Amino acid sequence: MGSRRLPARSTRIGSAEPMSATTAARRVAFGPSLGRSAVVIGIGVGMLLAVAVASMLAGTSRIGVGDAVGIVVHRVTGFGPVTWSPAAETIVWELRLPRVVAGMVVGAGLATAGAVFQALLRNPLADPYLIGPAAGASLGAVIALLLPVATVGLLGIGLVQVLAFAGGLLAVIVVLAIARGHAGTPVVTLLLAGYAISSLLSAGVALLIFNSGERLGAVISWLLGSLAGASWPRVGFAAPLIVITFSLLLLRWRSLNALLLGESQAAHVGIDVEREKRILVGLAALSTSAGVAISGTIGFVGLVVPHLVRLAIGPDHRLLLPASMLFGAGLLGLADLGARLAGGIPVGVVTALIGAPFFLWLLRRSVVGTRSSR
Amino acid sequence: MAPRRPIVPLSVALLFLVTACARPADATPAASAAPTASSTASDPAPSTAASATTFPVTVTDDLGRELVLTAEPSRIVSLAPSNTEIVCALDACDRLVGVTDYDDYPPEVADVDDVVIAASVDVELVVATEPDLVLAAGNELTPTSVIEQLDALGLPVLVLYPETLDAVYANIELMGAALGRAPAAADLVAGMEARVGEVVAVVEGAERPLTLYEVFHSEGTTYTAGEGSFLAALLELAGAAPLTGDAQGAIGPEDLVAADPELILLGTASYDPSLADPQAALEAVGRRAGWAELRAVQAGAVVPYLEDIVTTRPGPRIVDGLEALARAIHPDRFR
Repeated sequence: MGSRRLPARSTRIGSAEPMSATTAARRVAFGPSLGRSAVVIGIGVGMLLAVAVASMLAGTSRIGVGDAVGIVVHRVTGFGPVTWSPAAETIVWELRLPRVVAGMVVGAGLATAGAVFQALLRNPLADPYLIGPAAGASLGAVIALLLPVATVGLLGIGLVQVLAFAGGLLAVIVVLAIARGHAGTPVVTLLLAGYAISSLLSAGVALLIFNSGERLGAVISWLLGSLAGASWPRVGFAAPLIVITFSLLLLRWRSLNALLLGESQAAHVGIDVEREKRILVGLAALSTSAGVAISGTIGFVGLVVPHLVRLAIGPDHRLLLPASMLFGAGLLGLADLGARLAGGIPVGVVTALIGAPFFLWLLRRSVVGTRSSR
Repeated sequence: MAPRRPIVPLSVALLFLVTACARPADATPAASAAPTASSTASDPAPSTAASATTFPVTVTDDLGRELVLTAEPSRIVSLAPSNTEIVCALDACDRLVGVTDYDDYPPEVADVDDVVIAASVDVELVVATEPDLVLAAGNELTPTSVIEQLDALGLPVLVLYPETLDAVYANIELMGAALGRAPAAADLVAGMEARVGEVVAVVEGAERPLTLYEVFHSEGTTYTAGEGSFLAALLELAGAAPLTGDAQGAIGPEDLVAADPELILLGTASYDPSLADPQAALEAVGRRAGWAELRAVQAGAVVPYLEDIVTTRPGPRIVDGLEALARAIHPDRFR
């Protein structure tokens, strides 16, 4: 019972004072009950599957459940009678499925990165875009969109994706380099440098938008975040990066848990704080940039999902990271389904429309709810 | 401690899931519907002398891309109203299986399913029509990302983007070749050329008024014919000296006042009923900062121009647009 309440309070939004080392340590040691975690993970997996199936059926052209499932089974296993038209197969296998998978992969990457940044910066407002990857990726993508040359396909992915990925990583590298001093990389300096670099890059983006002429539409729809251009090669580009960075981040759960206590406490338990910080930021930035490269800048997933998951199962990163990944994937998949059903509006608009009120609700709950419950 | 176990298998499982999904696509990057082979038998070519063309035919679009058509296309998707008009002018309207919701000419295209809705191409609907030819537009009217997506799906796409009258003729002839209607296309082009010749003859020798064609006006900036643009060329053929903006057609208020046009054609009146009345239009533009002193406004030479669609849509009716322009610029020569 105690373990149900404590995590929620310790990470409530806007909590000014860091939790004391002893309570946090106890929490990390005890963790949430296995049963509760299993339920949460189960819900996450169920949501993922439900969204995947619903997304295969939803669309402007009508394709029945049997055909949709049959097509996927046929393409994966090669078995089963073909009862559908080639067009239906193209729609399900080349349009809908890569889009669903792309949404889930990006959502997983953003939510994982968000969880890491929130632990690292010990800042409830931290999201994966805070220290520059979004602005860097945007500048890269917009440059690629406005280049007069015909976009050259590289391994089936476009120049836009390549430059967005490179821009996102480059921005974080520059921020890390600027923020690094003799005494390591203070978190505040990291945040401020990230803010300044983001502003600078955004100014570049704004300048390019102003001069984008007839490509304005393409630029805006990229900046709003959209999965409409999803394809297997793009999934093949982002998915391995996101899965690998996720695995590497999960292996560093001890560092993440220790950093929750504060940097000096983490150092006391034998963590090389400066080294871990750089590695964690690098991995999270890699995950974010890979996602943003194929989807544009989709907001709120990386901010809201880790909060939500932490409320449910507590701050232990052994569970928090996989659960964030699951719910990030499910939530972005769901948002994209909504975006498609709403007539193809950009998915970034949907995540903001759902995410912002939800975040406000969390905020109110943390201010009002905890006080009344005491 | 307990929860540590389930995690590793979970992430491994996910890794498998993702790679399993990605692998078949890597093996066959463009595996998808190739409808050309299956759909030929369904539609016997309407028998006219026009179908003298023998397939396969190789055509080159305005992006310089070559497309081999193995058989006469019978299921055509048009992603721009100008493309639709060309197809119908070649008497192939019945082969259209997808158009835009903006298509309004000829009237029978209203019955064809829309695959472009609110200016955005619904790729799923395009695929669902099982087209054997997709006619896209250039200059981002069909977004480059959509063209790339259609290419990747293995659909035969032609991109048409004519920037001159000659290019419109070339597009019509290209479509004639692609649709097996080359003689009809040649006749159509010859007729258009003759009418253009007549307009040029009528306005020949007339004084060329410095003319502002207003495409759009916002926050003091007027969008008009861009320098070297199709619209500028048409204005010139119609006997005007076009006042041009920058490459995007934008002209700022200071440059406009300095240039001081003698004639203003409000293309905007085609869409804004409040500008359709000449007197109301004159008053409306007179209220804009600096405009009251323009020669055109002083002389009352502000014309609500209601033929913007045919004037800016690069299809067969572009000649109607040219004639309307000439009439608006030189009404005295068209009595």
